[in-house]
Amino acid sequence: MNFEMITPRTTGELLQALANNQGSRVRIGAGYTDLILELKGLKCEETPLVINLADLTDPKFTHIEKTDAGIRLGALVTAGKVIIDASIQTELPVLCKAASELGSRQLRHRATLGGNLCTASPAGDIAAALVALEARCEILSADGTLRTLALTDFLVGVRKTALRQDEVLQSVFIPTRKSINKHLLSDFLKVGTRRSMEIAVVSLAYQFELDAEEIIRHAGIAIGSVAPTVKFVSAAGEFLVGKKFSSIGAVAADKFAAMVCAEATPISDIRASAWYRREVLYNISRGIFDK
Amino acid sequence: MKRDLKIIGKPTRKLDAEARVSGEAVYGHDIVLPNMLHGAILRTKHPTAEILSIDTSKAKALPGVVCVLTADDVDVNNISYKGDHPILKKGEVNCIRDEIAAVAATSREIAAKALALIEVEYKVREGIFDPFAALKKEAPQLNRFASKEQGKNIADSFHYEHGDLQEQKEKSTCVVSQRYTLPRVTHCCMGTSAVTADYSRSTKRLTLYSLSQVPFLFQRDLAKALRMEPSNIRIIQPVIGGGFGSKLDMHPFEPICALLSMQTCRPVQIVFSREEEFIASPTRQPMVIDLTTGADADGKFTFREVKITKDNGAYTSWGATTPFVMMQTFSSLYQIPACRFDSYAVYTNNVFAGSFRGYGNPQATFALERNIDLMAMELGMDKMQIRLLNANFAGEETGQKLHFRSCGHKDALQIVSDKANYKNRQKSNGTGRFRRGIGLASMLHVGGGAKIYPSDGCGTIAKFDDYGYLTIISGASEIGQGSETVLAMIAAEELGVSIEKVRIINSDTDIKPWDVGVHASRTSFIAGNSLLGALSILKIQLSAKAVALLGTDLDDLIFEDDQIRSGRTGKAVKIGKVVRDIHFKQPHELCTASYYYEPDSEYQDGAFKGNVSSAYAFAAQAIEVEVDTYTGNVRVVDVHVAQDVGKILNPLGLAGQIEGGVVMGLGYALTEELIASEGHVRNPNFHNYKLPTASDIPEIHFHPIETSDQEGPYGAKGVSEAPLIPTAAAVANAVSDALGVEIFSLPVTPEKILQALKEKSV
Repeated sequence: MNFEMITPRTTGELLQALANNQGSRVRIGAGYTDLILELKGLKCEETPLVINLADLTDPKFTHIEKTDAGIRLGALVTAGKVIIDASIQTELPVLCKAASELGSRQLRHRATLGGNLCTASPAGDIAAALVALEARCEILSADGTLRTLALTDFLVGVRKTALRQDEVLQSVFIPTRKSINKHLLSDFLKVGTRRSMEIAVVSLAYQFELDAEEIIRHAGIAIGSVAPTVKFVSAAGEFLVGKKFSSIGAVAADKFAAMVCAEATPISDIRASAWYRREVLYNISRGIFDK
Repeated sequence: MKRDLKIIGKPTRKLDAEARVSGEAVYGHDIVLPNMLHGAILRTKHPTAEILSIDTSKAKALPGVVCVLTADDVDVNNISYKGDHPILKKGEVNCIRDEIAAVAATSREIAAKALALIEVEYKVREGIFDPFAALKKEAPQLNRFASKEQGKNIADSFHYEHGDLQEQKEKSTCVVSQRYTLPRVTHCCMGTSAVTADYSRSTKRLTLYSLSQVPFLFQRDLAKALRMEPSNIRIIQPVIGGGFGSKLDMHPFEPICALLSMQTCRPVQIVFSREEEFIASPTRQPMVIDLTTGADADGKFTFREVKITKDNGAYTSWGATTPFVMMQTFSSLYQIPACRFDSYAVYTNNVFAGSFRGYGNPQATFALERNIDLMAMELGMDKMQIRLLNANFAGEETGQKLHFRSCGHKDALQIVSDKANYKNRQKSNGTGRFRRGIGLASMLHVGGGAKIYPSDGCGTIAKFDDYGYLTIISGASEIGQGSETVLAMIAAEELGVSIEKVRIINSDTDIKPWDVGVHASRTSFIAGNSLLGALSILKIQLSAKAVALLGTDLDDLIFEDDQIRSGRTGKAVKIGKVVRDIHFKQPHELCTASYYYEPDSEYQDGAFKGNVSSAYAFAAQAIEVEVDTYTGNVRVVDVHVAQDVGKILNPLGLAGQIEGGVVMGLGYALTEELIASEGHVRNPNFHNYKLPTASDIPEIHFHPIETSDQEGPYGAKGVSEAPLIPTAAAVANAVSDALGVEIFSLPVTPEKILQALKEKSV
């Protein structure tokens, strides 16, 4: 494994590095939990160049910021930091759970939220939670301009994002939904053969907002490892809106599970067959409403 | 002989614990010699192909490359148990591990670059990856060095029988036939394979820093391969990062490294990457077991008939001889009047198997203990009762002539059943998402060595220095199993010398006396007895002098606290002083002793009958699982292990062996499989080879049984393979108990469970 490295310390230096270095040999490094593996396996003519974000101190990249409008998470926030953040624990519990299911404690200490998104694995844990939360990506370009893009549009395929060569993911933003007396119901269900150091064979992230009467007012649902990208399951979510959570019975649960599965296009690989993925997705989707 | 033991049986920290955890220990990878080169091996791109040409000119021209070897450059013998394995492949390749060329260069990076510059022209051939396809008439011969005695693609076969099969079949009211399929799993040693070879131009001697667990056999095999005198090869064993049987065979990279050093007259080191380790290190034998077992109306076992088809892979390793152990389980685990056993190791173009902790026994026990559950269900009997009814007993001589002088089989079954509350367990009512069940399984394994070579012995040299420090030069190797610590404890027990004053030398064939090697759970038993022999000689020497110094008689001497004391007068003399008096005064001798211990086991006859081990270990496990019927995931809730260990020597080391074994067994049961398709290894990494993690491991409750074997040191038996042997069977039996579905192959994956549940519901 051989590579060159540039380490910008300021956003200005980062933009400079992005402007000067483009092409297939350029990679952006943050936590390196995926990138080291990628560099090891790389068989290319040119020596890879890594733009190393580890020393970047700009809070836009490194901090979790809570405002009335919502919560902004810098791309360099690690999974470990997500887990212990009080506002994420209370307002974005699905993200907290997903981050806590990622890899192992050692990996969570290194792995960044931005890395999890930019790797664009269909099995991304944090990605699934953020898709369920309808997060928006804030993307910085070499010329200093910032554009925002829905995360579902950011993730375009297996290991493919909408990021252009002169761009870097700065942060994600999750707008606060205005509602009164809401309480949240959420989980991140990760299915695999091991309980840690696992890549999801199927994952389901959901965060429901319920009012005082337990009526579901909003349902954000995402599925992982069953399509080329993490997918937002809008129809199944809309199906739930207006229903009282505790009165969703077997028939509605079956219908919901079928709607979730309708969005899945799983493949068979060494981890599991398409049949298994579909079967499990159905079972765990339905299981949300188990009494 | 009942006596109070002061050290034996007390928790004692491993002697090398601190060096291991502090990073001080020198592993094979840490060795650096002056002028050392780095070797690397070019392996084939295709599992099966003709090699049309190899062009090494570009690699040779790369600055920093000192040597490039292909089969054309060397004059060597084939290796392996059947002599069917060329070190470097010529003209053709037959599996994805095949070594085509090797490079030695001044750095690892240059060596890797040089490999990429070697141009190989292949003509891809069709391979055979299924042993049953290889057995067909029209299949081509897959290994051109094979003996063909028994069929062109049969590498090795075993036949065993005892009793009157026909008569027992007629007695049987219950007969269960089932096919079991066992996967390819690998050792996952934390330290990858490594070797450093150092050939001297002037002495013509070769020193190998090798991780072999059988250094004297390795020395002989390497000499044969390289056409050298064994005595001109010195094997030095660095600290080994995991063996588990993987280092029982010599593998091609080791003679290749030696050849590179002999060519360059410089030290050469080869270290595997993790990916290379997954692809090119041995596996447990994948196999299909067709088993038929019978019982009479009362549930007494009548007969077993078993046919095993093993995927040998492209070459034959010691692993082909695992039926030797498997037949013991079929012939002798539980009382069995008649048994017929046939096994065939069949050549394929898959990666070849080697030996692995348990040596075939986890596979055999899986099939056998699953079948017992099936018979119990058919007979309407309790699964524990049928086992207790047929359990082995002390004094039993089995059909295979194994003699169980001590036997904790029944106790082991009873204890795990009681501890797991098996009788009163909550029976699953077949509804609800999470369902629980408990599975039982037991095992039999050699516990006092295994006489499969002309000798199963071990030599020991012990010497005191003038300051009362004891050096033990043992033939037995330490590969992490804790034998050094047990040897030091034995010395402390016998001579009262403190453990800190005991040194163990056990890693150099030029120094240490002969030993077969680490296998068959034999080291504490055999090396322990060998040490006891040497210590008794030293004790006589010390006692004679101490009697004179203390003015007392032999019976009055107490060896304690680095002193020899008179029990009557309390007068004491330091051991160092006694040694000096022997050395510098009359009789002017050194305080040294050597001893060779040969166990009283028998070399089996041509029909595989005879008492192959001096003692036998028995164990039972009761494992509780909770199955998630939505995902098919199995959570192991509780593991109870009862094992006849003869006598506990070091409780800490023992607990390590038990827990480590169970974890390995759980991986075999539930998650591990080296996935191969068309001869390629599809998951050569820890991402997709699912070794269990700490978070997957439940409480492991260990209930040792001390049967005090008459031949073992202090009554101890071998312990180290046993804890993984019944685990997979117990897990699969537990899944059956929980769900009422039967899984006949390993690993018991979530997908297999969901499929079985689906089939049950339709």
